[in-house]
Amino acid sequence: MKRIMINKDLCSACLNCYMACMAEHNKNGKSVFDVDLEDIENEGRNYITIDKEGKPVPIFCRHCDEPECVNTCMSGAMTKDKKTGIVSYNKEKCASCFMCVMSCPYGVLKPDSKSKTVVVKCDMCDGREIPRCVENCPTGAIYLEEVDC
Amino acid sequence: MSKCGNCTTCQSADKVLEGFISSMDMETSHHRVESQKVKCGFGQQGVCCRLCANGPCRITPKSPRGICGANADTIVARNFLRAVASGAACYLHVIENTARNLKSIGETKGTIKGINALNKVAQIFGIEEKDMHKKAVMIADKVIADLYKPRFEKMELVEKMAYKPRVENWKKLNIMPGGAKSEVFDAVVKTSTNLNSDPVDMLLNCLNLGISTGLYGLTLTNLLNDIMLGEPVIRAAKVGFKVVDTDYINIMITGHQHSTISHLQDVLIDEKVIEKAKKAGAKGFKLVGCTCVGQDLQLRGEHYQEVFAGHAGNNFTSEPLIATGGIDLIVSEFNCTLPGIESIADEFMVKMICLDDVAKKANAEYLQYSFEKREEISDYVIDEAIKSYSERRGNVNIKGKKSFLSAFKKHPERKSNITINVPADHGYDDVITGVSEESLKAFLGGSWKPLVDLIAAGKIKGVAGIVGCSNLTAKGHDVFTVELTKELIKRDIIVLSAGCSSGGLENVGLMSPGAAELAGENLKEVCKSLGIPPVLNFGPCLAIGRLELVATELAEYLGIDIPQLPLVLSAPQWLEEQALADGAFGLALGLPLHLAIPPFITGSKVVTKVLTEDLETLTGGKLILEDDVIKAADKLEEIVLDKRRKLGLK
Repeated sequence: MKRIMINKDLCSACLNCYMACMAEHNKNGKSVFDVDLEDIENEGRNYITIDKEGKPVPIFCRHCDEPECVNTCMSGAMTKDKKTGIVSYNKEKCASCFMCVMSCPYGVLKPDSKSKTVVVKCDMCDGREIPRCVENCPTGAIYLEEVDC
Repeated sequence: MSKCGNCTTCQSADKVLEGFISSMDMETSHHRVESQKVKCGFGQQGVCCRLCANGPCRITPKSPRGICGANADTIVARNFLRAVASGAACYLHVIENTARNLKSIGETKGTIKGINALNKVAQIFGIEEKDMHKKAVMIADKVIADLYKPRFEKMELVEKMAYKPRVENWKKLNIMPGGAKSEVFDAVVKTSTNLNSDPVDMLLNCLNLGISTGLYGLTLTNLLNDIMLGEPVIRAAKVGFKVVDTDYINIMITGHQHSTISHLQDVLIDEKVIEKAKKAGAKGFKLVGCTCVGQDLQLRGEHYQEVFAGHAGNNFTSEPLIATGGIDLIVSEFNCTLPGIESIADEFMVKMICLDDVAKKANAEYLQYSFEKREEISDYVIDEAIKSYSERRGNVNIKGKKSFLSAFKKHPERKSNITINVPADHGYDDVITGVSEESLKAFLGGSWKPLVDLIAAGKIKGVAGIVGCSNLTAKGHDVFTVELTKELIKRDIIVLSAGCSSGGLENVGLMSPGAAELAGENLKEVCKSLGIPPVLNFGPCLAIGRLELVATELAEYLGIDIPQLPLVLSAPQWLEEQALADGAFGLALGLPLHLAIPPFITGSKVVTKVLTEDLETLTGGKLILEDDVIKAADKLEEIVLDKRRKLGLK
């Protein structure tokens, strides 16, 4: 599988990855101009945080080899596809226990801001050749690398 | 994207140009589109604010306000007003210099080439004076006085120039401009840190700036230039790279201030000056048009047949034009003088001289233009052109182009080893140029009746002004402009163009009579019977002011207001802040205005709604954002049909 890798030294916190994620998963259309930046229902699935030295750190789902979110999920909402390596989330099966949020070693999973009932989770742009966030990173702080799944 | 060896260039509607660019071994703007393709989404939506040290702040669903508390509406409106103010400032700079030059010509009893224009403007201004030089001074004084008024004093020429129903509308909306330069000044104040936060107030302010941009920056610049430089006359002309004749010392000009090069263009055909060129081995001097000032020269080409080689192309044609090797010197006085020309000019040993420091290029020599020093400046430019010509082309005795070029190949040891490669197949020979509000009316027999009759009979469904810039991102260089124009003429909508859009349209043949074949049956018949193309070339972006004059005269003839006309505007490939100020004028006139790329406003619901919907109830105008050619044509055609219906036309 292709994994999104991070070189945090190159991150300038421009949030283009966050914008790209919102655009790709927007029900109103895929153009950047279709993104309603005031609509909390459409939030990005990645984020940039600041480390203790004040430097930006991109936080992305790694679709782990040993995914804690899958291991701790009791309802079967989180599954790992052995072939593609993708960790998927099915909101219909989710019981909103948020064990996945608690167990994620990277702190990337979070409940949605509006209803706080579903998990905001990367889907690697659902089969898109290059995830939109990677395509829109101007500095190369996030990039794809082929890894065994 | 088009592949060229190991590089990528953007598409151009002009395929010969695209091929030429992809064969260049130097980088141009067309190459850089690829490496700049990742855009900042917050910038695109206009929600990035850099007004204070707490920022930059950006609006996201999780951070809906900047640190100061400004929301998306405030941030977007502030950014937009700032951009419009800058654009207005650019055009006001042009009219200020133009008026000052007219005043100097009047005071020194210089040549007035456009007596009709002089009398027309004097009549509009209410000036009664027999002596034409005094008249010129009085006209210039009135313009300058208005520009320099404080903001709290309204400019007096607005009421004299604008169409009465529009003035009434503007008064109702309280957007009549005070002194134009002061208005720009306070717009900058308004958009500074923790000042105005009211999006609607700022949008109305944009309309105010649009009015002074349109009436002064555009309309008056045209008319004052007509007085000094001659009125446009309709004629067929050559365009494209083929206008470059390497037997001459070629001076490429870039900018928007035709009167600044007025003296130079006259002396270049002076016998003594030609003699100097001959001594250097050339036949004489030619001015090669590029950017809007080239369109201006083309517009008045009837009066400059000897010195003007023709218009080579628009802003994004300037880099490859220098790379033909046929240019010996560049004189710039305003935009669009791309920074990208610098490295190419250096490589091709082309000296650059700048006459107005607002357009000072890093590698250009700056000579501050002043009317008093015009002779000295022209002499210097001529001497430098000869020096540059001799240095770059080698001191070869030219007996004919062939021997001249082969002499290069034979003497590679010479200091100059530039390659001259002017693609003779680029461009057209029969572009109809010189169209203005006056020349078009004269062509129609001195009245708008024939045009109105054709519209009423449905032979011409409506009129579209495809205006403004050329950019590289709305599908590629001139691609959206050309495709939309073709789509509209197919639907029997006649297209009038002014700006770099016309530079693109003429270089693909749409302004040649043969383009009639691309029009719908009705429009084709009209074009063929009149011998005109379906796309009329009004010249530079300044001539958007001429389109406004045409619109006003048509409305006057019909006794209706401008928004009622079956007339639409599109600046599909707008590029710069000036275009936004032009656009604000179009909206103040009450016209629908289409843009293919949103002007960094979509991050605000209030700003977007006011401009695309509510404005229709205020001025009658509205913004249409559409990045699909067919959908844009559909929307524009629907508006034309709707306005026809409301006028009782089929």
